[in-house]
Amino acid sequence: MSQHHNQNEIQHYYEGDQSKLYSGIMAHHTDLNSPESKKQVGRIWKVFWILLVVTVTEVILGMFFSHEMPKALVAFFFLALTILKAGYIVAIFMHLGDEIKSFLITVLIPLTLFIWFIIAFLADGGFWLFMNSTSPTR
Amino acid sequence: MSQATATTAPETKLWGGGRSPFNVSYGKIMMWFFLLSDSFTFGALLISYGTTRFFSAAWPDANQVFKSFPFLEGQNLPLLFVSLMTFILIMSSVTMVLAVHAGHYGDKQGVIKWMLWTIVGGICFLSCQAWEWTHLHSEGAWWGSFINAPVESFRHFFDHHKTTEAALAAHGSQATHDFYNYFFTITGFHGAHVTSGVIFNILILINTVNGTYERRGHYEMVEKVGLYWHFVDLVWVFVFTCFYLL
Repeated sequence: MSQHHNQNEIQHYYEGDQSKLYSGIMAHHTDLNSPESKKQVGRIWKVFWILLVVTVTEVILGMFFSHEMPKALVAFFFLALTILKAGYIVAIFMHLGDEIKSFLITVLIPLTLFIWFIIAFLADGGFWLFMNSTSPTR
Repeated sequence: MSQATATTAPETKLWGGGRSPFNVSYGKIMMWFFLLSDSFTFGALLISYGTTRFFSAAWPDANQVFKSFPFLEGQNLPLLFVSLMTFILIMSSVTMVLAVHAGHYGDKQGVIKWMLWTIVGGICFLSCQAWEWTHLHSEGAWWGSFINAPVESFRHFFDHHKTTEAALAAHGSQATHDFYNYFFTITGFHGAHVTSGVIFNILILINTVNGTYERRGHYEMVEKVGLYWHFVDLVWVFVFTCFYLL
């Protein structure tokens, strides 16, 4: 096989039929009624029910109990459930859980900046309120 | 033949060239990176909302602000309407992932069916949002509203058990003003994403009907707009928590 032909092939893989670059779940399938396909669809509906139950739990918590519970506990519950929902959407619906590990890490590492952003900005907001409410001019 | 073996090379040759080291096509990687940048835009908006809320001595209560439902005016139904909106968006995310699944199997009719339902879901969500915005606007809320407003005009947005009259008089106007500025900006920015998502979905549906992807041999475009659509759902999960629950 000549080098020239080889280059064309590579070009084709990247710009033509990109689906040939996939492996695993992303690969081409033909039988929609295969057990593998059915398993996938089953997984999608399972996640739907999880998301629904979590959302209903959140709404019930927000409607009836959030005012009687300590504020920090309410915030912890809501944020934990939100992260849970986000995880299911990204991992199953966006198929990130089916990508190879190096891609998963590439996408997720920049998001860890949020941990710092949230802590820094909310702490700043809280401090601002503290300074204002103790200021003698007010 | 050499290429065929290269694409199924063992892990050690992932970065050896001739294949995508991530097992993902260029277009999909770029969609992921765009969504990553978009998540920082939404993150910045939501974090600045949180910061403003943290430095406010009073804040409107979600159960008081969002308690109306179309055709059931005057009834106290906190969070019910937004629950419906959330359900619609989650449902449309499910139909989108089913369209992607049908695409993996080259099932043209399946893609058309599920894309149609996704578009219907998106339009329903936008209609709900339009109603909610109109309703809040009828209560006097908009960008820049409630500056130096009398306490009577915004008292009903606050929880009487948590906020004293003194705090309401001193900080209520500013807090209500801030709350609605952030509410309309963030849900508006999200709504703009939903709108463009619906437009993309319609374009992809037209291409599918015309057989463009059938001739191309794969339905990767459905996956790409699918990623975008799921991201819109993902953002809503956070908007829902920040505005309606916390």
